[in-house]
Amino acid sequence: MNNDKAITLLVCALGGEGGGVLTEWLVETARHAGYPAQATSIPGVAQRTGATTYYVEVFPQPIASLGGRRPVFSLNPVPGALDALVSSELLETARQIGNGMSTPDRTRVITSTSRSLTTIERMQMGDGRVESPDLLAVVKAFSREHHVFDMSAVAKECGTVVSAVMLGAIAASGLFPFKREDYEAAVKAGGAATAAASLRGFAKAFEIVGRAQEQAAYLQAVIAPPPAEQTTPSVPPQVLQRFPQPVHEMLSLGYARLVDYQDAAYAERYLQRLAQVLQAEQAADPNGAHGFATTTEMARWLALWMAFDDIVRVADLKSRASRWQRVRGEVKAGDDDLLQLWDHFKPGVPEFAALLPPALAQRLVAWDRRRAAAGRAPWALPLKVGTHSVFGMLSLRVLASCKALRVRGSRFAVEQAMIDRWLQGVVDGSRRDWALGHEIALCGRLIKGYGATNERGKENLLHVLDHLAHGESPEASARAIAEARQAALADEAGTALDATLARHGAPPRPVKEQPIRFVRKPRPAAPHTF
Amino acid sequence: MEVSFSKEIESLRLGEGETFHGEGILAITKALLQSGVAYVGGYQGAPVSHLLDVMVQAKPYMDELGVHVEACANEASAAAMLGASIHYPLRGAVTWKSIVGTNVASDALSNLASPGVTGGALIVVGEDYGEGASVIQERTHAFALKSTMCLLDPRPDLPVMVNMVEHGFRLSEASSMPAILELRIRACHVRGSFEAKANQAPAISTRELMADPAKFDYMRLAHPPVTFPHEKLKHEKRIPAARRYILENGLNELMTGGKHDDLGIIVQGGLYNALVRSLQQLGLADAFGESDIPLLVLNVTYPLVPEQVADFCVGKRGVLVVEEGQPEYIEQEIATGLRRRDIQTRLHGKDLLPQGGEYSVEVLSTGLTSFAAAYLPGPATETARRWLDGNRERRAAVAAQLDKPLPARPPGFCVGCPERPVFSALKLAQQELGPVHVAADIGCHALGTFEPFHTGHSILGYGMSLASRAGVSPMMQRRTLAIMGDGGFWHNGLLTGVQSALFNGDDAVLLIFKNGYSSATGTQELISTPQDAAKAHATDKGQSLVHTNRTIESTLQGLGVKWMRTVHTYEVDKVRETLKEAFTSPFDGLKVIVAEGECQLERQRRIKPWIAGLLKKGERVVRVKYGVDEDVCNGDHACIRLSGCPTLTLKDNPDPLKVDPVATVIDGCVGCGLCGANAHAATLCPSFYRAEVIQNPKWHERLWASLRGGLVRALQTA
Repeated sequence: MNNDKAITLLVCALGGEGGGVLTEWLVETARHAGYPAQATSIPGVAQRTGATTYYVEVFPQPIASLGGRRPVFSLNPVPGALDALVSSELLETARQIGNGMSTPDRTRVITSTSRSLTTIERMQMGDGRVESPDLLAVVKAFSREHHVFDMSAVAKECGTVVSAVMLGAIAASGLFPFKREDYEAAVKAGGAATAAASLRGFAKAFEIVGRAQEQAAYLQAVIAPPPAEQTTPSVPPQVLQRFPQPVHEMLSLGYARLVDYQDAAYAERYLQRLAQVLQAEQAADPNGAHGFATTTEMARWLALWMAFDDIVRVADLKSRASRWQRVRGEVKAGDDDLLQLWDHFKPGVPEFAALLPPALAQRLVAWDRRRAAAGRAPWALPLKVGTHSVFGMLSLRVLASCKALRVRGSRFAVEQAMIDRWLQGVVDGSRRDWALGHEIALCGRLIKGYGATNERGKENLLHVLDHLAHGESPEASARAIAEARQAALADEAGTALDATLARHGAPPRPVKEQPIRFVRKPRPAAPHTF
Repeated sequence: MEVSFSKEIESLRLGEGETFHGEGILAITKALLQSGVAYVGGYQGAPVSHLLDVMVQAKPYMDELGVHVEACANEASAAAMLGASIHYPLRGAVTWKSIVGTNVASDALSNLASPGVTGGALIVVGEDYGEGASVIQERTHAFALKSTMCLLDPRPDLPVMVNMVEHGFRLSEASSMPAILELRIRACHVRGSFEAKANQAPAISTRELMADPAKFDYMRLAHPPVTFPHEKLKHEKRIPAARRYILENGLNELMTGGKHDDLGIIVQGGLYNALVRSLQQLGLADAFGESDIPLLVLNVTYPLVPEQVADFCVGKRGVLVVEEGQPEYIEQEIATGLRRRDIQTRLHGKDLLPQGGEYSVEVLSTGLTSFAAAYLPGPATETARRWLDGNRERRAAVAAQLDKPLPARPPGFCVGCPERPVFSALKLAQQELGPVHVAADIGCHALGTFEPFHTGHSILGYGMSLASRAGVSPMMQRRTLAIMGDGGFWHNGLLTGVQSALFNGDDAVLLIFKNGYSSATGTQELISTPQDAAKAHATDKGQSLVHTNRTIESTLQGLGVKWMRTVHTYEVDKVRETLKEAFTSPFDGLKVIVAEGECQLERQRRIKPWIAGLLKKGERVVRVKYGVDEDVCNGDHACIRLSGCPTLTLKDNPDPLKVDPVATVIDGCVGCGLCGANAHAATLCPSFYRAEVIQNPKWHERLWASLRGGLVRALQTA
């Protein structure tokens, strides 16, 4: 390294992660070691969970050797002139690399693999997460060397905050001409209460960055993760025989789900439906060139739709012993701690009507509509059920045992009719063209959830099916359906979906009736008189 | 506020010859005491909050010195405080965030600058410009020019910054002009050292009181006819006096270069370090700032000293003015000066450098490369060009490698923030009533403009929301909503908004976030902050205590607000109903909703040591955490679109049949209850649970739980 140029370090962190303390430690370490240093930051409102950076420069010659001369440090990080980039969050690392900060001929990058998802990623209706392997590929491509490990896991393990872990990583990287003791002295000088935990985190990171070999293996594992172990439920061999091998895994999962959801007879109905799809797919693709992708996808989405969520299913899932254990782990309840668990439910008229015979259900729903039309809120029962209590658990078990009501209920019939329409769409589509059938099958992704979310998904799917599946050419129809499916997952209001429908000449989705409330506009204010 | 500045207060006590280590803004604070300041005031705001926060907490030491410290209601009251220096030989300093604070203070500043000061008056402003800024991008420079106040822009090196504080007071006294000392964000937070001097107890102070007021002197009023001679004094006496002081004391630094003394660069002091790094990148300066091109570093950017600038320029082929922000006041003044003196040196500035935006090293280097290429063709510019081109190419390469731009990460509400639930409720209310015009304001609640809420049509200034809808609501069929924090309410909103709406009989809806503190600026206390006594007497230290102070409510009643509702923010259903009531009520007039919920940052600072203490003593503690059942969650993420809490995030779906990630609550959840309240208010999916973990339970609880647990387990399925 050039001995008359400052060593430069950019630290990326999120607000509240202790980046300020980290820079204070680094400046203190330099002072302890006798080197000139400067640090600065731009915290501002980024303290409130936003992304921020800290910048440190250290002159590589001891103060004592400078004869009173003082180096002039920069307050800004300089893109392409950084010696190191250290970051506690992978997306922020990639962001700074994207800003041009890191160069393959100079910059070493030390980054955590942990992600703190941005709100934009989290709020999408489907999966809006940025792929970590893509981010790591950027790190690899634009750094002189890189150290990659899960800093947040290390911090948690050591009972400290990520800033201490980052300090250990910086120390071990050999970026600055300081000894390990200098860093540790700075931490000790900082404050007595948390120093021990900070030093644990420091030591652990120091060790990890020191062992470059293991890290390379770790990085490889993150970029190409080994397939997760999955236990495929066992199903009767005569079930599997009816379908080609590529479908088996998904089929087993689907079959088992429906036995668990209702009974073997219902699962048999699933197989019969799937057999129709298989038949149509085989006709469209006799050589199996597509690996039975349509049948496999249908095995997934059909099982999920047929096992639609209702209060019976939710009560069943929430009252299992395995669930109690999972929650104990999630909330980190110690062996001697007591756990009290409340579940939030708000069943409305549709949820109860679902279990009633159609005639009765219609009358109940009509009553609720009249309420809403009169400007009152639809009837619903907000419940906080104590699942840890005898009464709560008993209620859940009673509900869970209402499986018999489910198949006689009004919703069941409606769902089956809709499923059959979609199924017919897949079959007919496949007959026209394999790709069209496949796209319609994938639309199963639109169906999920409860209440209005579920209604919206089904309406969207059937609308798309009715108006886009019968285009001039099967290719055009397949394209239109694929676009509409993407669009339907883009926003809740369906703005993107409506635009896509319009673009493909389909009619807009029917407008939902909604009670209108008139509010008197007050008279213009009378002039003041004095 | 519950943050402790004990370490910083120790630094303020450092004596002669001891070394100070710390941040720039704290060094400035120390420098005020070394200069014998008698009174200090201000209004908080990044990046200068620390100055006032530390001084307020250091009250016992300030009393010892006789220094008066006041946390002012807003910047206008801080600026007015400087009126003490008009008649009396008192050194006073005030601080705020600029440009916004200077805007608010400008009336008082004009009236201060016109009569001029006897004692030194120093205004320390955080120039919130460029990366990390949170306000409008404008220059404080304009205010110095229009009101004729000195403007110091010191080199961001602690000894220089400290020195400029002392000179600032003397310059102010020598010229009778108030002086502004501007510090950019990075300079406020720069960590360095300087050799301390002893603090000076002011001669007149809270301990050494004046016996009598000054004699009546019309010249000290900002009132005609004396405002006319004041204006004359500014250019006939005060500016010349300031220029003399600047020259005689060498406030601006001339750094003669060896190699290229036929060129020159005139730079604002605050940009000196970035300039030197740029010169280093071009191979035109060494590590210690020895530059090949002579530099004139303006630690005082107003007034300029024309003869100093002329002497620097004369005989040079070209001079570059490095001046950040627009318009280029300094460059224009230099150009006028050179033209009048008929000096033919070519002048560069905004022709080579960008008109607006922060002058980072890279930006400066681009301009400097053009300058060097014109006057110094050679290898230096080649290296710099390759480096700058490399940056551009790398950025393009990264963008190409990632298939889409990375999502932004703006600041957001803290975990458990009491303001988030109100935005959830507002989103739900609008689903029923249709969208409403929302006049937003400055404060944490402005974070509601970001995803997932995207709420707020305009922000017109701190406390201005209610005033800013005055022209909208008469023109709109639906009622409008103004959102204001308690910080904004006391800063300005009470008068510009509430009083005006009442006087005009406006039909308006105002929602006040009563979280108890001026939180976005760092949880400073307000007149409506819960009293220490309330905090001490609360048996449950975790509960919100803002209801214990009713100053806002009684003030509104006193003004004559007839329709007022108080809601607890976490009760989303109730807040939604109250909003709907306000939007649809036949009541014609100002409707105020006070949304109560104490700032979670402050609460956590109180709760954490309390809980730790209870656990240490082996006492009963209930910890609340929310969670999501992964097999019940439908992967639609509607809950996140209604919350955005950082601890409500995603994980891979453990169900191999499903593809979309499920919601999950990670460690850090403070159990605020919003997840449950939203699940009920919005009829979300039934996947949320509320877990109460009881540590150190009582013996009877344990007994009862084990009996009950046996029965419950018998009922459960596998």
